[in-house]
Amino acid sequence: RETRSNLFKKLSSRGPFLVTPFKGDIQEKMSNYTNSPCAACKFLRRKCTSDCVFAPYFPPEEPTKFANVHRIFGASNVSKILHEVAPHQREDAVNSLAYEAEARLNDPVYGCVGAISVLQRQVLRLQRELEETNADLMRYASCLGSETTSAYGGRRG
Amino acid sequence: MSNTKNIHKGLLERFLDLLLIALIIFMTLKGGTSGACAACKYQRRRCAADCPLAPYFPAEQPKLFQNVHRLFGVRSIVKILEKLDETQKPEAMKSIIFQSYVRDRSPVYGCLGVTQQLQYMIWLAEEELKAVNSQLQLYRSQPQNGQNQNQNHNNHNQMIHELGGDNKQQEDVTSQQLDLGMGLNVHNNQSNVVTPFFSPLLPVSETQQPQMSYTYSCSEVNNNGYSPPAYNTDSGKEILTNNNNVWGGQNRFLYNVNNGGGFSNQNESCHEMKSNNGVMAIQSQLVNLQMASNHQQVEEDEDAHEYDEIHQFLEIIDDRQSFADSKEAYASSSGGSLKEQIDEIGENELRSAATCFSLTSMN
Repeated sequence: RETRSNLFKKLSSRGPFLVTPFKGDIQEKMSNYTNSPCAACKFLRRKCTSDCVFAPYFPPEEPTKFANVHRIFGASNVSKILHEVAPHQREDAVNSLAYEAEARLNDPVYGCVGAISVLQRQVLRLQRELEETNADLMRYASCLGSETTSAYGGRRG
Repeated sequence: MSNTKNIHKGLLERFLDLLLIALIIFMTLKGGTSGACAACKYQRRRCAADCPLAPYFPAEQPKLFQNVHRLFGVRSIVKILEKLDETQKPEAMKSIIFQSYVRDRSPVYGCLGVTQQLQYMIWLAEEELKAVNSQLQLYRSQPQNGQNQNQNHNNHNQMIHELGGDNKQQEDVTSQQLDLGMGLNVHNNQSNVVTPFFSPLLPVSETQQPQMSYTYSCSEVNNNGYSPPAYNTDSGKEILTNNNNVWGGQNRFLYNVNNGGGFSNQNESCHEMKSNNGVMAIQSQLVNLQMASNHQQVEEDEDAHEYDEIHQFLEIIDDRQSFADSKEAYASSSGGSLKEQIDEIGENELRSAATCFSLTSMN
């Protein structure tokens, strides 16, 4: 009891911590109070430890990001994907998952694949147009070439 | 007595044989020795007659379900299917299978990588179309007499030279960090190979060879004088010298919650750099991309049997219907939506998207 009361005094003297009587590891609790839990741990209502895999990529300021990802893919699947990917690529992986999750929520039938389909058709259309335009260009170029040779032939003659 | 016993024994054996044969026939009719769909096989449970996943995951293609299970999970799939009509379920499952397949091939970027690559190809094609149209305009405006032909030739050559750009200038230009709202950090050496989309998406072989062919074509283009938009990141120079990097550029991938992850262009200065890209280089680049896609197609045929449904997937999607429906869905979303994303993919945005995809340099 004396140790706890001394500890409370120390905590209150160090800064504006919200010091309440609690059980458990005091050091860990202090770290949680200094750094607020990540959006994932907030959503899942669990303790956000220092080695939380979600913490770097789901900041508490973006709660919907994790909510969407969890709703579509599930936290355990996301965790597995993050562990399979290299650390320097995890942020990109999370952001791409967030994009896909949001797309799936907006369009439950096609998700982000609808956009891919549209873009692919656009690519095909542009390629066709390019082929036609190149064909026109070749025609003009060949006409120009034939006129040039006839002009040169006239001059030489 | 013994004769009777023998007769009974014989009848019993014959009855058991008949029972066994009937059981085998029943199992065969149900579809194989086990009769379970790939989903139930994977989960090691009995496949009920009303299994919701059985129509979409045949037992002969276990990999399809494995991909889906890895990304979505069974519960999530069932939840999605429950909310849909009977007519929408097959399309939804196909898109889910496709998305899972792409995520399996590209664990980091998934469908987002595919989307951005397509945007880059659109930008390339539009730039080339612009250049070709301007040349065509030049030819059309030429007078019929031959006296001005030399002058026009000079103009033509000058235009080609200008459009070809100055390689030295490109090398000296400091890189710019692209921020699309969802800029992409593309520095990776994984096999994030995505089939160039001049043909419907086909599965890519798991070997590194397709990626190398694509990279080789990009390097070859760089020999022709095409210099990619440079980047301001510290690793930009590293990327430019990394021939193994398919994407060839590194951009910070930011998920912007404010615009809901929409593609908004915030970097206009890339536009000027892009306008200096070589016309001929772009043309040869597109040719090389086609060659790469053909090369990939040869490799893809080897794995085609395992992904038959995916081959036909993009042909089945009715983009009008889906996009029209999705537009309504997007309009109803409060945050930034995919609709905004696609609507904002205008000319400037697509050009900026190209900075995601700087090609490697031979230097």
